[in-house]
Amino acid sequence: MKTITFTVNGQKYTREVEEHKTLLRFLREDISLTGTKEGCGAGECGACTVLLNSKPVNACLVLAVEIDGKEVITIEGIAQDGKLSPLQEAFERHHAIQCGFCTPGMIISAHSLLQRNPNPKREDIQEAIEGNFCRCTGYLQIIEAIEDAAEQLKPKKSKKR
Amino acid sequence: MQFGFTYHRPASVIELCELLNRYGAKCKILAGGTDLIVDIRAGLKKYDYIVDIKNIPELNELSFSKQKGLSIGAAVTCSQLIEDSTAQKKYHLLCECAETIASYPLRNRATIVGNIVNASPCADTAPGLLCLDAQVLIKSSSGEKTIALKDFFEGVKKVKLAPNEFVSKIIVPPASAEAKGAYMKLKRIKGHDLSLVSVAMAVIKKNIIRVAIASAAPTPVILPDFSKNTKVDEIINVALKTVKPIDDIRSSKDYRLHMIGVYIKRLYEQLIK
Amino acid sequence: MFENIDPKELKYVGKGLKRIDGIEKATGDALYVSDMFLHGMLHAKVKASPFASARIKKIDTSRAEKLPGVRAILTGADLNYRVGLYIVDKYILAKDIVRHQGEAVAAVAADTEEIAKAAVDLIEVEYEELEPVLDPLKAIQTDAPLVHPDLGKYSYVEAAFTPVPGTNIANHTKLRKGDIEKGFKEADYIFEREYSNPSVQHVPMETHVSIAQWQAGDKITIWSSAQSPFTVRNLFCYSFGISHKNVRVIVPYVGGGFGGKAGIALEPLVACLSKKAGGKPVKLQATREEEFNLLACRSALVYKIKTGVKKDGKIIAQRMEMFWDSGAYADYAVNVTRASGYSAAGPYEIPNAWLDAYTIYTNKVYGTAYRGFGHVEFFWGLERHMDYIADKLKIDPLKFRLINTLKPGSRTITGELIHENSGNVSKCLETVAKAINYGVKTKEEEKREKQNKTIISKAVCALHKAPAMPPFTGTVVIIKMNEDGSVIANLALTDYGAGTYTSIAQIIAEQLRIPFEKVKIAFECDTDRDPYDWQTVASKGLMLSGNAAILACKDMLEKMYDMAAQILRANPCDLRHNDEKVYIVHDPHKFVRYREMAVGYAYSNGNGIGGPLVGVGRYTACGLTNLDKETGQGNPALDWTYGAHGVVIEIDPETGEFSVIHSASAFDAGKVINAAAARGQCVGGFIQGLGTAICEGYIYNSKGQLMNPSFTDNKIPTAKDIPEKMEVFFVETPQLDGPYGARGIGEHSMISVAPAIGNALKNALGIELLRMPIRSEDVWRELSKKRKAK
Repeated sequence: MKTITFTVNGQKYTREVEEHKTLLRFLREDISLTGTKEGCGAGECGACTVLLNSKPVNACLVLAVEIDGKEVITIEGIAQDGKLSPLQEAFERHHAIQCGFCTPGMIISAHSLLQRNPNPKREDIQEAIEGNFCRCTGYLQIIEAIEDAAEQLKPKKSKKR
Repeated sequence: MQFGFTYHRPASVIELCELLNRYGAKCKILAGGTDLIVDIRAGLKKYDYIVDIKNIPELNELSFSKQKGLSIGAAVTCSQLIEDSTAQKKYHLLCECAETIASYPLRNRATIVGNIVNASPCADTAPGLLCLDAQVLIKSSSGEKTIALKDFFEGVKKVKLAPNEFVSKIIVPPASAEAKGAYMKLKRIKGHDLSLVSVAMAVIKKNIIRVAIASAAPTPVILPDFSKNTKVDEIINVALKTVKPIDDIRSSKDYRLHMIGVYIKRLYEQLIK
Repeated sequence: MFENIDPKELKYVGKGLKRIDGIEKATGDALYVSDMFLHGMLHAKVKASPFASARIKKIDTSRAEKLPGVRAILTGADLNYRVGLYIVDKYILAKDIVRHQGEAVAAVAADTEEIAKAAVDLIEVEYEELEPVLDPLKAIQTDAPLVHPDLGKYSYVEAAFTPVPGTNIANHTKLRKGDIEKGFKEADYIFEREYSNPSVQHVPMETHVSIAQWQAGDKITIWSSAQSPFTVRNLFCYSFGISHKNVRVIVPYVGGGFGGKAGIALEPLVACLSKKAGGKPVKLQATREEEFNLLACRSALVYKIKTGVKKDGKIIAQRMEMFWDSGAYADYAVNVTRASGYSAAGPYEIPNAWLDAYTIYTNKVYGTAYRGFGHVEFFWGLERHMDYIADKLKIDPLKFRLINTLKPGSRTITGELIHENSGNVSKCLETVAKAINYGVKTKEEEKREKQNKTIISKAVCALHKAPAMPPFTGTVVIIKMNEDGSVIANLALTDYGAGTYTSIAQIIAEQLRIPFEKVKIAFECDTDRDPYDWQTVASKGLMLSGNAAILACKDMLEKMYDMAAQILRANPCDLRHNDEKVYIVHDPHKFVRYREMAVGYAYSNGNGIGGPLVGVGRYTACGLTNLDKETGQGNPALDWTYGAHGVVIEIDPETGEFSVIHSASAFDAGKVINAAAARGQCVGGFIQGLGTAICEGYIYNSKGQLMNPSFTDNKIPTAKDIPEKMEVFFVETPQLDGPYGARGIGEHSMISVAPAIGNALKNALGIELLRMPIRSEDVWRELSKKRKAK
């Protein structure tokens, strides 16, 4: 057991953790944040994607002890005050969701993309989410939702100019 | 409990050396963890001690100097390298190789040194690093040594590294800087996949052609240097004599050999013609 | 339940409204069984057989028992129960014999997953390895070892299946129509070929997971990631001889199924572990690797087709033989054989047809339902075969298809009469052909070929499928009105991704004329609280449950009209409803609001009438029959959904690499209820079909061990693998007994993707690929062979 201090979705925690426990299981079992899913446990499917110090990573390949002093954002940290983010709304609007199991990881990857690159081309989107498997949607409506969200998030052209 | 391990996070190379001396083969270095944690989960590997090196400042260094070339510390991730403008400018081939590794979240964890130390025959950065004549800096409590990457690989998942040693960094020499190069990789899908076979080619100092191949032998393979006026067919001939691909569920030997020829031809057309 | 309503008058039906489960899924709030952690819950792991076929000589659990934290251990010797849907052939844990690598021989429940895993490792099993039966064609030879020597003793659904005891044939489906020999005699040409494909994994993103608690008095609760709560309950009760009232099955959000979570899976084992552990809840979730070889897959197929045609392109006779490799168990696979059998000729009229379809036991991972239910597999052969014949006859493949498609007045191979409202496959074909500029190469395409040194090629393929279900399948929907006039619907059809609930909510809003936002479909299914539904399979959900929803609304409206008639002092026949009000038709300002009647109407003096509003709708498939076991004749189809795909592929002739750059798909959906959801089904299915076509499939070694049980070596398509352009079209020939004319479309999009690619490759390169998946290496190899032959 090791004691670690870290932040998840802006909340500070100090917890004892078994050293072999992955961040994925730790988030789900110890912090009760079950939005982050396990799809393969081997870094192939991306269902467990979270932001670690603002970069997307596969939580199944990170040990919980490694987040000591770090900041984690999970899907539960994307909606604010019970209101969906524009990206989440776009997913809902475009039917970019079917069974929903890949959705949290997918939204984390897309959220991170839009932070890095507010004007992604279709290839950029495909590159950003290639590590997130979705068996239901065939990806097209996910890509369209991300494109739409990027459009929504663009600063509206100021009339003064 | 019996199935766990003890986790250490040394803050210095001295501490790291002490741990390696103390635990030897019972411990394993953790950098990105993208291979190690998969193996532990699958029960393929078992260690009593895991030593996380990401907290050692010296191993996080990614730097370039005209005298020493590019220095990639053991904890430097693929993404760090790819996003480094100097690396992109000076060692484009290496970055191109790194960009084909797995997916973005994985590249945010996986390290360049890990890709090499793991010594998979299909390691994507290996062909690039071999073409660029990379050197491996190995350290232990008794000192340090530099060996050429091509001498570092011993076999499938085997490298020349004693239990008390670790790779501190990979150095890509200044002589390879600005080399024109490209990497071609055969996959089963367009999305992330391991290399079924892949070829890197570089033109060093504008007159040497260097070719390295992955997934075609127990270790990544580098061909002897070719002069710039070498005909492409000759390069292909040498390549096909040097590699020893196998039939496996990912691809047949025949197809691998065919694709090596195609890639060398295409790289040659792209870089030399 | 089709009423000829002008689409302009429809407020919700036909619109691409938001999914009703979007918010909780976008936020991670939706709770799946894998997310459930119950108080005192134990974690289970199974011990898997390393051999494909072996006798279990001894299992020693003594070391595992001593491990602190181990609460229950079970082996096959402890459990004398067989489980199955159509043929009851599988023990909960292997007993004496293991029949496939990965089969569970023992299981442990412990305080933590780690302890359970460690205990499993401590169980020692002594095996006597046996020669596995791996090739289905060899398995049906008389000297083949028997995978199930006791086949003759198994119970099965006798009306539908024919096991052949003393062989490895779990079921033999026959179909005879017309006079096959006469047909071949009359044919100008006869073409015969064999096509095959391997087993494929469903790959739901949530692997199978169940939690069960078996408490005193045989009171059992099961939470499961399953498609069909009532079928889990029914099969469970059948196996254990427990009353249905004692077993409660709860299905919350489900992370994908694709057929793999139909029927019953881990639930009995987990329940038995709970019983052994004194009634504590036990959870077992398959690892991704176990999903490949502990759980079921799609059966492999060898399909032999012999076709007689006239010079003018009319098919006159067809003999079809299907050899389904169902692996170690045929519980569900026998029905894949049956349903593929009656559908085997595709959407074409064949006057003289003969079919023998066999479900064959081998020592491999066992087959079950998978999206398309056999059709993805046999259409690979059938639609490749259509192009093969067209090529030989020198008729354009599209034209050849159109000559033979089922049209009003045609009869299917089971003798069913096709009429104006059966759907229009020809129109689907023509739609996709137009979309891809079939038959010509555009200027842009020519330019692209030159630029990329590639070859661009096109093909179209047709498809059809009807739901595979018992002919008497029925369902119920109950709607309840809340105090504010909003409505909650309960049904045990699950929505594990398809979006059916959203469509049903639209139907309810339309019928009751209330805002869509006021309709909720309760997501967690619970056999104690929800009314019966057989299974969520077969693309029958929207049609059967949609009809039941309409009837539930009509039932509630009738009650509202009765109440309103009293309140308004009117004849019920003079009442109408709209805008959450019941009003008098000739005096619309006299009305009563729904919410005033929701829990019964109260007069100002306190008198009450009516009582809380519920509506019940029951619907049963109408007019379907069992098929004659000798001739296969009868009426098996609730509805036929027809469709077609057109593909444009780009090929690198030097490497064999290819990709679909443009796809166009068309389906006769009858009536599209939710355009966005329907498009999602079609795009998603196409990409799943693409996976089957290019990269997925089980690879076994010579000992029957699965070589690729992971995403490392069983790739599935990623976001980078989709065509640059994907188009979906809907033809709408109303289904007269479908809700608003709608038919199911859930599975169809996956069918015939692979043969379209195979045919396009043939058109461009002249190579004949007869086995899928088609890897770039296969294309290269065939091309090399062809070049050498020259």
